[in-house]
Parts: sequence; C-alpha cells; structure tokens
Amino acid sequence: MIRLALPKGRNLEPALEAFRAADRPLTELEQGDRRLRFVSPEAGVEILLLKDWDVPLYVEYGVADVGVVGSDVLEEVGGDLLVPARFTAGRSRLSLIGRGGLPRAGQQVRLASKFPNIARAVVAEKPWGAEVLKLWGSVELGPLLDLAEVALDIVQTGRTLRENHLEELETVREVAPLLIVNRAAYQTHRDELNRLVDRFEQVGAVE
Amino acid sequence: MKVTASLPTGVAALLFDGARRRRRLEEEMVARLESNGFAEVILPVVDYLDPYVAMLSAHSRSELYRFVDRSGEVLALRADFTPMLARLLAPRLASLELPLRLFYRGDVLRYQEERAGRQRELYQLGAEVLGLPGEEAEEVAIDTCLGLLAAGERRRLVVVLGFAGALDRLILDCSDDFDPHELVDAVGRRERRHARRAGAALLDVVERGVPDDPSALGAAAAARLERLEALRGRLASRHPSVDLRIDLAEFADQVTDPALAERLGARAYYDGLVFRAFAGAAAEPVGNGGRYDRLFHSLGAELTAAGFSVSLDRLIARDELESVDEGGVGDGRDGPAAPEDAR
Repeated sequence: MIRLALPKGRNLEPALEAFRAADRPLTELEQGDRRLRFVSPEAGVEILLLKDWDVPLYVEYGVADVGVVGSDVLEEVGGDLLVPARFTAGRSRLSLIGRGGLPRAGQQVRLASKFPNIARAVVAEKPWGAEVLKLWGSVELGPLLDLAEVALDIVQTGRTLRENHLEELETVREVAPLLIVNRAAYQTHRDELNRLVDRFEQVGAVE
Repeated sequence: MKVTASLPTGVAALLFDGARRRRRLEEEMVARLESNGFAEVILPVVDYLDPYVAMLSAHSRSELYRFVDRSGEVLALRADFTPMLARLLAPRLASLELPLRLFYRGDVLRYQEERAGRQRELYQLGAEVLGLPGEEAEEVAIDTCLGLLAAGERRRLVVVLGFAGALDRLILDCSDDFDPHELVDAVGRRERRHARRAGAALLDVVERGVPDDPSALGAAAAARLERLEALRGRLASRHPSVDLRIDLAEFADQVTDPALAERLGARAYYDGLVFRAFAGAAAEPVGNGGRYDRLFHSLGAELTAAGFSVSLDRLIARDELESVDEGGVGDGRDGPAAPEDAR
C-alpha cells in the first residue's frame, strides 16, 4: 500500500479534490478526521498528515512514498524528488509585494519572505539589491511596518493585500500543488503510481 | 572550552555495535571480492586539486573540500576513489598486465546541503574492472556489485539499469521546440506534462522506463537496449532475489552526444552501462556504478573501465530497519518507522 504524505495547509484541499474526483475519496479527511496517521481503505492509501514544509523531507527519506506539496515549498527546500503531476486546483502565485512600487535600479532594500532561497535567486536577476530577511509568517507586515521595503509571498486572491493597502508589484513564479515521489518508491510502486496519475489525468485533476 | 560530544554536520562516529556491524559487513564484502580475484589498493585521503579540475563536473567540484597547505599547494580531500585511481594508473598502464580487478575502501568527503540522509563523510567500498574487452567489463562490474549487495538474501534490492546516451536522439529530435536542458530535467523528474508535449516515445520512457517502440531511440541505442535486456536476463538468473529493472528516465542526464552535451554544458561521466541499487524506501541509492572509459581517455589512456561503489553506512541503516520490521517491532513496510513509532 502506498503511503501518502499530505500537507495540513492550503494544498490539502486540492489534494482532497483530486482524490474525490478520481473516485478514491479520502473520506476520513473529508469528515474532518485530523489524526496524523491512518489508513484510508476507500482510497487504498495510508495517510500521513504533515506540515507543508516537512512533506519533501518525509518523501525523500522514504518515510512516505508519495506526497503533495506546493511548488514554492519544493523549490525553497530542494530535494531529489520526482514530480509526475501538477494539480490543476489550488493554483496561486509567488509575488513581490510592497507599497511604493518596485525598487529602483541600483537601490539596496530589505526584502522579507518565508522563502529566502527563492528570494535570493529572484534578487540575483534584478537591477537592484536586497538584504533578505527570513520571516516565519505574516510576511505582509514587513512592508506595512517598514521592516522591509518589499516582501515575497504567496498571493491567491489578493484580498489580504487590498485590505492592508499593499500592491502586488510583480509575479515571480506561478505556484501549483505537486505530486512528488521518491526515486526508490517510484521503482517499487511504479504501476500503482502510474494508475493513480492516469486516473487523476482522466478527471482533469492534474496536468 | 566546554567539552561536548557534538560533531560537525554530516559526520558520525560509530561506537561499539555500530562499529562492529560496519567492520563485519566490510570484511564479508572484502572476502567476497578477494575470492573473485580483486586486489586491494589503498589510496591517500588528500591529493593535489589540480589533476582533478578538468575531470570533474561543476557539481562535483562544488562538493570538494579544498585547502592550501603550508607550502602553498592547493589540496583536496578525497571525494571519490575512481578519478584518483585513474590518474595514478593511466601513466603506468603500459607496464601493467591487463585486465585488472581492483577494489578499495575508505571514507570520501563531499560537501552536501544539510538534509536528512545526506552525510558529508561516507564510507565506501568499491571495485573497478579495467581492460576487459567490450561490454564484458560492465557485466563483471555489476555482477560483482549485486553479489555483494544481495549476499545474505535478506535485503530487498531494486536495481535500476540504463545506459549513457540512451535518450540523446529523443531529446535532440525535440530540441527545436524545447529547451533541451529543461527537457532532460523534466524527464529525469518524471514530469509527464513536458514529456507528453515532446512525443509518445518520451512519455513511454517517463511512465515505464522504455519506449514501446525501441527504434525511436535510434538504431544504435535500440541495439544497445536489446543487449541490456539480455544482460538483465542473465543477471536475474544469477541473482533471483534482486528486482532488476531497465529505466532510461532514471539516467536522462547521462548525455553523450557531443552537440547535445555542448548545449547542456555537461557530458555524462559514464559511457555505457549505468546502474543504481536501492534498498528499502530511501531515495539515496546504496550502490551505483557503470562504465567510464572516457575518464581514462581524458588522461591519455585507452581501455575499457567499469566499476561501482557501495555505501556501507546506508546499507547498515537499511538492514537495521528491515530487521526491526521482521521482528514485528516496526510497521511492516520497507522504510523507516513512521513518526508515531519513532516517538
């Protein structure tokens, strides 16, 4: 039986939606079950419920065979993982946000983000420079309270930005929930994983 | 200064049982290698950096621990045995009786990002087969490797086989429409959406490891695939407990076509057979190897060369988990205990 690592955060719903559409509903989670580990007989998988940031580690280390994680988190933490599918639901974007427009060429600013590695890669291609400040949450407060001139954060609907009088200055990445698999697990469970991805594709849950 | 037992990231001390287990496994493997006619070589842990600069990829160079000694020489800690052995043997080949079957054991040190399961100091045991004709060296190397890994028959092994340059033709055929670097990366990561756009054969490779129609690989690669199938069959009969699979996507980055390699900025280290052995669920292989004639060619020597290395620490870690599973303490799967068990 495949062991599946699911994130507790914003990417849980797209994963549930995909399994539901594929007629393999994760009934326990749909009904609000929040045990950290259980078998879902209807879906034929064992579930681990994890923090989003921990999913790649569990999969790479082989504790879980398969996982669902945002492309933002995977890019930030890295890992030698296979990515056979991207979910169509739960799309968002990683954007530079602030109050007074993008920094000018040659300007040195502070940039707040939960994604310091991506932030440094983004800044490396800009005509301006930045000291990257790693924050653990409420990144929008950075530019709002002048901790930083700009922030790099996930934008879904833009509502939080509007309510806090912030602007989306530039989209730097399109973000999607990903199905990730570890190399050894792929070889061991290849047929089963291919059937699962085939089914997701048939119902349009992944691309 | 307060004395603590902490060690730098990525290194570990083996005490008591841990040390005994590693030495026992090592001695079993050494005895097996010696009975198969392999002779030991002992190589230094420090060498000049200069001879390796041209041999190593940018990635391998980035993993080196290097320093300047008191006389101003730039030195590097051993990160791999094979290039060191090759540079020491290449100038002496004319005076050596071929073929050679050599083995080595010891630590290698590589800088790795701090991640679970990624050690910076690895204890390796490996072997090289030099100067056997054609693909015979490949078969002896992988057969010897499987003999070491499958000994005891308790270990659940999946060994993935491929060959360098297998997908070059398919990638080149798509290179007008796709960035080859992105495509190679996407195939290696099994990204179906990229592969599907690039064509049915590449999608087959991503999903099942080989194309339905091998001729899509080009005549030479299709013939090579047929010989690899035959090799797989022979190995399967000699090592029935090992799950042997051919999967060309696993080695998508092993590009040998000169034009494609130039566009990618990197040519494959391997020239022929490539393989990785996985034990249990962890993504890091416990053994890997292949044929690497080009390394000797770059040193001015022409001979067939194939070899492998196994990580004793990873093997012991997998064996411990499997023995826990068999004893009924674990959760019955072929991986580390789940977090609840660990707590």
